Amino acid sequence: MSESAFTWRAGGCHCGGVRFEVALPAIVEAQTCNCSMCAKTGFVHVIVPESRFRIVKGAERLAEYTFNTRVAKHLFCAECGVKSFYRPRSNPDGWSVNARCLDATEGFELRIENFDGQNWEANAAGLAHLSKEHA
Amino acid sequence: MLQLAGHCHCGAIHVILEPGRPTAELPLRACQCGFCRRHGAATTSHPESRLHIEATPGSLNRYRFGRRAVEALLCEECGVYVASTLEADGRRFATLNIAGVALAGFEDRIPEIAIYDDETDEQRLARRKARWTPTVLVEAQPSA
Repeated sequence: MSESAFTWRAGGCHCGGVRFEVALPAIVEAQTCNCSMCAKTGFVHVIVPESRFRIVKGAERLAEYTFNTRVAKHLFCAECGVKSFYRPRSNPDGWSVNARCLDATEGFELRIENFDGQNWEANAAGLAHLSKEHA
Repeated sequence: MLQLAGHCHCGAIHVILEPGRPTAELPLRACQCGFCRRHGAATTSHPESRLHIEATPGSLNRYRFGRRAVEALLCEECGVYVASTLEADGRRFATLNIAGVALAGFEDRIPEIAIYDDETDEQRLARRKARWTPTVLVEAQPSA
C-alpha cells in the first residue's frame, strides 16, 4: 500500500496535555482485548508501524507502567490517566493507538475484532504483521 | 453480607462493594463524556450499595475537570480510572468503574449508554446524590 493510502488523524488524552497523530487507511483494523490490563483501561487497539505514528505534544507528561515481562511500555497521561497509545508487547517495533482517543471517527471505517489476550502466547503472533513498515 | 472485591491493575487501590441488592439489578452505565469514553468506563452506583475504597498512600491521582465538582480517582502507578467521587452534605458518594477494578458479577452485561449533556449544575448534583453510592475513601496500606 502506498504512502498516499493513509490519512493522518489526530487524537489525544482528556486533559489535552498529550496529543498524537496516526496515519490510518480507509478501513482500520482494531482489536479489543480481554487481558487484565486492556480490560481495565478499555483500550481499543489500532496497531501501526513506527513511521505512521508521532507524538505531537506532551511526551514529558507520559507516565510509564510495566508489569510481568515488562516488554510492553504502558503509557498514560500523568494528569488525566488516559492511555492514548503505548508500545505493545506484541508489536514492540510499532505503536498501539487507542481508537477511543481519536478526535473524530468520520472518514474511515473502524472494524473491531476481539483479541483473546488471556491466551496471549497462543495468539500474539497473529498481530505481528500490523507493525511492519510495508505490510 | 455479599462483598465484591476488586483493584486497579497494579493493586495500589482496592475497592470493596457491598451491592445491597442482587448485582443483576444494579445499573451498568457507559457515560459518553470525553473522560469516560477515553477510559472505556462502565460504571455502577446505587444508594443501597456501600463502597469502600482503600488507596495506598501516594497512589491517588485526584483529577478534576469541567465544573470541577467531582474527583475522578486514578491510580498514579498504572493509570487506571477507579471511581468518581463527590462530597455533599458531609457525605461522600461515588460511582465505581466496574471495568477498571474488574469487579465480578458484571461480566456478561452490556452497559447502557448514558448521556448527561443537557443537565444543569443543580440537576447533576441532585442526580448524583440520589443515585451514587455512599462511600468511604481511606488512604492506608491495603489490609488484605
